[in-house]
Amino acid sequence: MAATDVTITAEPIDNQRCKFMVSEPVLPGGVRRFSGAADAKGSPLAEAIFAIPGLDVNELIVSGNLVTVVKQSAAPWQAVGKAVGAAIRSALMAGGQAVTPARKPAPGDGSAVNDDELYERVAKLFDEQVNPMVARHGGRVELIDVQDAVVMLRMGGGCQGCGMADVTLRQGIEGMLAQSVPQVRGIVDITDHATGANPYFQASKK
Amino acid sequence: MLPTTTYRTAAFVEAAREIGVELTVASEQPSTLEDANPAGLLTLDFQHPDRAAAAVQAFAQEHPIHAVVGVDDDTAIIAAAIAERLALRGNPVAAAIAARDKHQQRVLLAKAGVPIPRFMLRRLDEDPAAIAKSITYPCVLKPLRLSASRGVMRADNHQSFIKAHERLKAIVCEPAAGFLVEEFIPGYEVALEGLVVNRRLHVLALFDKPDPLDGPFFEETIYVTPSTVPGGLQSAIVQCAERAVRALGISEGPIHAELRYNERGPWLIELAARPIGGRCSAALRFGEQGGISLEEIILRHALGMPIPSLQRERQAAGVMMIPIPGAGTLKEVRGVAEAKTVPLVQDVQITAHVGEQLVPFPEGSRYPGFIFARGETPAAVEGALRDAHRRLSFTLLSPRPPASAAGPSPL
Repeated sequence: MAATDVTITAEPIDNQRCKFMVSEPVLPGGVRRFSGAADAKGSPLAEAIFAIPGLDVNELIVSGNLVTVVKQSAAPWQAVGKAVGAAIRSALMAGGQAVTPARKPAPGDGSAVNDDELYERVAKLFDEQVNPMVARHGGRVELIDVQDAVVMLRMGGGCQGCGMADVTLRQGIEGMLAQSVPQVRGIVDITDHATGANPYFQASKK
Repeated sequence: MLPTTTYRTAAFVEAAREIGVELTVASEQPSTLEDANPAGLLTLDFQHPDRAAAAVQAFAQEHPIHAVVGVDDDTAIIAAAIAERLALRGNPVAAAIAARDKHQQRVLLAKAGVPIPRFMLRRLDEDPAAIAKSITYPCVLKPLRLSASRGVMRADNHQSFIKAHERLKAIVCEPAAGFLVEEFIPGYEVALEGLVVNRRLHVLALFDKPDPLDGPFFEETIYVTPSTVPGGLQSAIVQCAERAVRALGISEGPIHAELRYNERGPWLIELAARPIGGRCSAALRFGEQGGISLEEIILRHALGMPIPSLQRERQAAGVMMIPIPGAGTLKEVRGVAEAKTVPLVQDVQITAHVGEQLVPFPEGSRYPGFIFARGETPAAVEGALRDAHRRLSFTLLSPRPPASAAGPSPL
């Protein structure tokens, strides 16, 4: 694979979080969360990202073609995104497994809620059910993270700034999650609705 | 009943969660997720209250409904129709219609002796020159059914009346529509927020409107409560609103009234059977700790649940509907973070989005955002709102700029 074969697109969520969409699968069919450099050992892509000087990464989530980086550094993504892109690219170019899959819990491991497992199930629900529906209004719902069984999501397209976004979230998505992934304890919408440039429904009257 | 154009969605959905009420949201356009939650999402014909009420009656066979709440002028009528049909707490349909139709409202108020401006009903297809000769000045032209002061204009003489008439025709877009010509009442304007329970008006807040509303257009800006109007006069204002509530036959639910007072006493300008509009309700908190929202009170009342307090919090509070900065395409808003740092300012919400066409009054009526403040005195709150507003700057462009450069960027 040549370096130019791998295209990576950065999409900052806020100054702490950024999604990197990779043209090649990074971790097909699974999710892996790294909460520190120690966790990253054995996964060259994660090791390289945690090693970027000054980035101060405190979480990394890899799922399919998506790498989500959560950093503490105040540096804007425009300044540090290229280093992350280079780290992803070189890990993929090196051949071998860029990210080792998460250990599957053994049967009888207990019923404790596992955020990675929830992430996978919520991502599947969003991909297969929620997004095809909200796409009818030009919207999309992105899963940002699952922490302590609380889903963090961001609404985009026609949903961002939409006058009915709360209805979609509370009357729609919340119910679907309760039915399909009942272990989810709550939802946090991190959307900056004020910057929505093309809301499907625009509030306009008293 | 949440129209897709309302600002009230988040506040009502949140209030329902707060009190643990199962919600069915009805809108005039389908939600994309309606199939996924048929008990919680419903589409109704908001143009035809009878049809909407019949649809809800059928829906209630499978999903019982215990209360119905409208949030604006139109849904107040539909809520009344549903309440009548399902025998729920609510206003008679006739009362909701009378509150919605400005002419009908004035006829009933005049008949009951409520002090209101002299008025006459005219049609837009009449000869404006003939109308202009038959009226006294200054006067106010008002469309019958638009809200948020859209289309409301003052005329001081024949020429300005004819110009305003022409403008109103373009705004209303119905050649034969009726409109009101009303005496202009000089004076200080206040807004009264109330809850009617079993025909009795409970005053939730009386807001001062410190910016004069003398025309030629009537764009609202600042609301501050508690009112600084002297106590005796406040009582007269409340009595005037009580008489209006009785005259219109409003028996249950929120009301929002606008009144003026001058040396001749209080005057009822408008009364709506709905709560305060826009995002302004965030300026109102109730109970000792300010933990109860207006929406929670409205939902509790509709459901017959106990209401912990109708007493507004101790602090003064206010909201500024940010004046529309001009006509054009919104390119950028600066100074929001700085405005939020102004002492006493609690929030600055920009509701207009980049790329949106801003249309000034009287053709437009959509404010680009809201500023909220709380403090010890109404004067301090008003000062904070003005200070925060001075820090905002809006950049408008015309024509529409190219698509925003924000978004994914290749590395």
